[in-house]
Amino acid sequence: MEFRPRNYIAEEESHALPRSGADDHPLFAPSTSSNHHKVDVVDHESHDFFDPLRSPAANAVALNKDVEDGESSSTVSSEAAAEVSVKEWTTFKRFLMQKFPVSKMVSVSLMPDVIIKTGKANVKDSTTKHLKELDDPANFAEEDVKVITGQEYVSRLHELKDEIKRAWTAEDRVTSLKLSIKVARLLMDTSVLQFYPTLFVLVVEIMDMLGNLVWERIKQKAEFGEDGSRLCYLSENFKEINICVEAKETCNNWFCKVGSVRELLPRIYLELAILPCWRFLNDRPANSLQRLVLMTRGLADPLASVYCRLYMAHCARKLPSCDTGHLITSINDIKILLTRVLSTKEAAHGKSVDNRRLLVSLMEPTIEYIMKCIFKDASQRQVGTVLMELGLGRNQVELFGSNPCVSVVLHHLLKELPTEIVGSYAVEILHLIEYSNDKSYDQCLNYRLLGFRLCERRPTLDILNAAVDRIIQVVTLLDELDDFLKVVDPYVDIILQNQMDNHLNTILEGISERACKKEIVDNDVVGLQSILMKILSHFKDLEDVFALGHFLEILDVMYGSSRISIDMQILNMATRNGCINDPTTVQLLFEICQALHDGIDFVNSKGDDYQAARLISRFVLMVDYGAEMERHLTFLVECRGAFGSINELKETLVHSSNHLATKALKDGRKHLSFVKSCIAFSEVTIPSISDHIRQLNLYIETSEVALLAGLISHSDGLVDSAISCLQSVDLINGCSGVRLRCNGGTVPPLHPAVGSTWIDGSIGIQRLGATVARYHRSLTPVDVDGMVTSIQKLCSLLVIVPGNPELGFTHTLKSILSLITSQSWITSKIKIRISCAIVSLSATLSQNKLPYNADLEILSNDLLFYGDSSYVQELLSFSEHVLQNLVEIIEQEPSGAVRGSMALEACNCIAASFKINHNIQPVCSKLIETAKSNLSTNDAYLQSTIKVLDKHLPTSGISASTTI
Amino acid sequence: MSTVEIKLSRSNRIYRPSEPLQGKIVIKSSSSIFHYGIHLTVNGSANLQVRGGSAGVVESLYGVIKPIKILKKSQEIRTSGRIGSGTTEVPFSMNLKQHGEENLERFYETFHGADINIQYLVTVDIMRGYLHKSLSATVEFIVETDKADLLERPVSPEMVVFYITQDTQRHPLLPELKSGGFKVTGKMSTQCSLLDPIAGELTVEASSVPIHSIDIHLLRMESILLGEKIISETSLIQTTQVADGDVCRNMTLPIYVILPRLLTCPTVLAGPFSVEFKVSVVISFRSELSKLHKKSDPTTPRLWLAMETLPLELVRTN
Repeated sequence: MEFRPRNYIAEEESHALPRSGADDHPLFAPSTSSNHHKVDVVDHESHDFFDPLRSPAANAVALNKDVEDGESSSTVSSEAAAEVSVKEWTTFKRFLMQKFPVSKMVSVSLMPDVIIKTGKANVKDSTTKHLKELDDPANFAEEDVKVITGQEYVSRLHELKDEIKRAWTAEDRVTSLKLSIKVARLLMDTSVLQFYPTLFVLVVEIMDMLGNLVWERIKQKAEFGEDGSRLCYLSENFKEINICVEAKETCNNWFCKVGSVRELLPRIYLELAILPCWRFLNDRPANSLQRLVLMTRGLADPLASVYCRLYMAHCARKLPSCDTGHLITSINDIKILLTRVLSTKEAAHGKSVDNRRLLVSLMEPTIEYIMKCIFKDASQRQVGTVLMELGLGRNQVELFGSNPCVSVVLHHLLKELPTEIVGSYAVEILHLIEYSNDKSYDQCLNYRLLGFRLCERRPTLDILNAAVDRIIQVVTLLDELDDFLKVVDPYVDIILQNQMDNHLNTILEGISERACKKEIVDNDVVGLQSILMKILSHFKDLEDVFALGHFLEILDVMYGSSRISIDMQILNMATRNGCINDPTTVQLLFEICQALHDGIDFVNSKGDDYQAARLISRFVLMVDYGAEMERHLTFLVECRGAFGSINELKETLVHSSNHLATKALKDGRKHLSFVKSCIAFSEVTIPSISDHIRQLNLYIETSEVALLAGLISHSDGLVDSAISCLQSVDLINGCSGVRLRCNGGTVPPLHPAVGSTWIDGSIGIQRLGATVARYHRSLTPVDVDGMVTSIQKLCSLLVIVPGNPELGFTHTLKSILSLITSQSWITSKIKIRISCAIVSLSATLSQNKLPYNADLEILSNDLLFYGDSSYVQELLSFSEHVLQNLVEIIEQEPSGAVRGSMALEACNCIAASFKINHNIQPVCSKLIETAKSNLSTNDAYLQSTIKVLDKHLPTSGISASTTI
Repeated sequence: MSTVEIKLSRSNRIYRPSEPLQGKIVIKSSSSIFHYGIHLTVNGSANLQVRGGSAGVVESLYGVIKPIKILKKSQEIRTSGRIGSGTTEVPFSMNLKQHGEENLERFYETFHGADINIQYLVTVDIMRGYLHKSLSATVEFIVETDKADLLERPVSPEMVVFYITQDTQRHPLLPELKSGGFKVTGKMSTQCSLLDPIAGELTVEASSVPIHSIDIHLLRMESILLGEKIISETSLIQTTQVADGDVCRNMTLPIYVILPRLLTCPTVLAGPFSVEFKVSVVISFRSELSKLHKKSDPTTPRLWLAMETLPLELVRTN
């Protein structure tokens, strides 16, 4: 048996691809000028093909022009507009139901007979019970079985809807109408406030249904004669004159019937339901709205009144064109109602203060909807008129006078105002908010809303300055941190974007003053988070942020998840722009990391906090003390102490310390003791990492560094540790809990990547990114794969580690080989791969010149044992032993296909390592036979293996290797 | 089996005296029938009845007063002959008021009140000799005043202003109401076309006691001359709420009352009878007492009610 001699330099040259120079860098962006030109050309040519993204935009522009031309826009697509309004209404109804859900307790104190009709004999009884229960809620909980719940009420209304529909289809329209009136009457009862919006939505659905039925019936009468012949076809915008007498009479009858309803509220609702039918009688149906809105004033109950107005706004949108007059009257009347609600004296008792708050919150959506209707497609001029009619503006120029407005109304007005108006009248609006301070809405939220509106489209700088100055004055008077934050939040954006640094300082000072005065609550923390986040995302440089007065103080008072997200954001920023050099910044960031670390329970974390761990590790990796390497190592030691529970970080620490060592080595040997401490640090740190593959890789890496520094004994020790780490895999694996593992497959097998590339920061980062931590209960095939590649890597390292004559040159190899038999996780396939690696390693070590060397100063085996026959002898006999095992393992493999591929793998390895002579050839032939019998003859691997064997058949010349 | 019915040309069955009453007689028969002529008769009369109201016991004993004939006319549509089996339609047209013809009475508009009934009927009779029962059918048609006879002047847009305070009430009020006071003002039309709603407005200027409701009651007064005595009965024909609850002060609320078609007619002041209307604004104040009298007549003066009644002239217009 004989090792095959190799000339690595010649082999590399013959296998290298031919190289040729390139003119352009493939990743450079093409020059911009030519690019522009191209786009232009495309534009010119685009007329004859349909670009799905461009053409509608062009249409939209045309449409917009139409809109600007005049009022004609409303007729352009009234159908589409109607569709939109239907959709909006549906979503609005859903929003109402969700905002004020029917709670279980809801049942109505005065059970109307329509609802009771379901045939429950004991209902009357239950209502009185309910009344009692209202006084005694505890009692109520026990006996809820007999009470009509909100759900039952709702389902009864659905039944009524069906009943009305049924009666209508049975031509019994009188019954339909009578039932509808009864349904509308339900809205007169506002005794259970919380239930009212739901009730409203359900009733209004029935009203709309009735309205549609009536509309269809009259339209039918107008279009078809009694005998079914078609009289005319009513276009979308028909006129009253097109309607025949019979249809008009039927229509008139409906209005008469509805008009004879005694109670005001159902009368209004029913007329609204059939409001579009006015179009059959006259061409100005909107006139009725003006009357209806005045009639609604007769509803004294504020809740009933505003919801009635809401329905009115909805119904008005069904008319082809309508002005906003009635809506403005509605809003003005709502203002009076609200003023009255707010001024009632009952407010003295705590209970009715809550009640009043609930009442206002129930009324709010209606104001919101009506405001939306008012400002829908309103031009600037119209806005001016609206503001005057709302009693705010004096004339078209002075849009905001000194009259206060009910704050909840103001809020929704402010929400809907066109951005240009908000922008140009920011200061006036601010004054208006100042006057309008009542209990219907938090004034601070109005200031806040103005801020958000101003952010939408920046007004001119002088207006902005004036507005921000004013806001700063306002907030300085606010005592509560919560209020302060609420107001300031949107303005922080404006201040940051316009570099109003003095204001930023004032705000931060204000926050810190208020935050330190009193213990802050969760709500405040959320507000703080928003503001700090804005500041962080505005500044590019973290040092600028730290330089801001009070920033760190404010950070200190924060806690909980908000604190964590701010900390993470800071770390994100810090690690974004390369190395962190400034020692103060490092210190600050270290403290932030500590806070973050304390905030998160890494030991029990379930992967959600992986991000935080990653950021801390990244920070540690990015820290660079430059020439102060001692300081850097101290920092790493501190980090290990502080963040001991982050597994991943320890790996980073080892990488960093190894990196430090290689950096020190670049300056020659003068830092040797420092390098030693780095290696010692790594060596001490590695065992505390729970994952074996990581441990293994880090041992190998550190060993490489030690070797680089010429510290052979260290290197040996580390290799030993790596092997013993492998040996303990089985042991630990048996009782492993949830542990962090990595995909170790990134280690290149059998590649001479020794030294700095490995430890280089950038590679380290990539590795961190790639090694997304997963949690496994036991070794997965991926883990095992990683382990094998690491072992292969270890073998490639051993090429340059000088052999230890005291223990025998093959001592380490034997230890690795012994793993094959002792470790249960090693399958036969892996055994083959490891054996092959060992054989290859032995063959390499036998060469006169090794493929690579660690350092010229360290003598490697080729120089140490040049021409030493006992050395080669030992390697050969060891290889022979491995080879025997190899063949046995292959023979024992039960699966044919696996056996085949294993045989090929072994065969390749043998062909590469040994001279094929009479000793080796039988082994090879046997292996090929095994492969042939188990694999198809066309198998590419088999074919190429045979080719390789043929090439190496013993025709080659004389070699210097020893023969056995 | 044979049936007969009258189908009038207008679905709403409204005709004016100067217009011909038109339609068709529809005869359905399983076999052909012989008849002695098809006769059409129109009948109009005012029926007066004293039942209650201000009538005394003696008067009510008399009961029905002799009806006042307005119109009675008969016409032969077909002379004797035979009608084939199946459905036969016989059109007709009949003048209600012949030009130059002297009428028995004015053509009052159709009206169905409590004591006064003005009704116009058209009857068809098919005489079939002695052996067979004659076929007949009757249908009511509605008479409205001729356009030519309508008021030349338009309905006056003038409104009557009213004040309702604790001092305008002639009945006792709740003490807190009397002392605290209230003031509701408004205006309302007192002449009104039957086709238009009663229009007006109303404002609560002050009220010491919360308002429960404000209603507009439409009242009808039917009077009958019985001998030397006029017997009237007032009935509440419609209530329309304009304010529900304690409404905001100084907000103008519209009054908009659509007149119920079947229960109203133009105001009539005939010799033997009259039909007049009134509108009453009733404010009811929130009071525990009112709950005890839920079923009582809303126009009866009560401690918690304040009211103002205005005359209302209803007229027929184009």
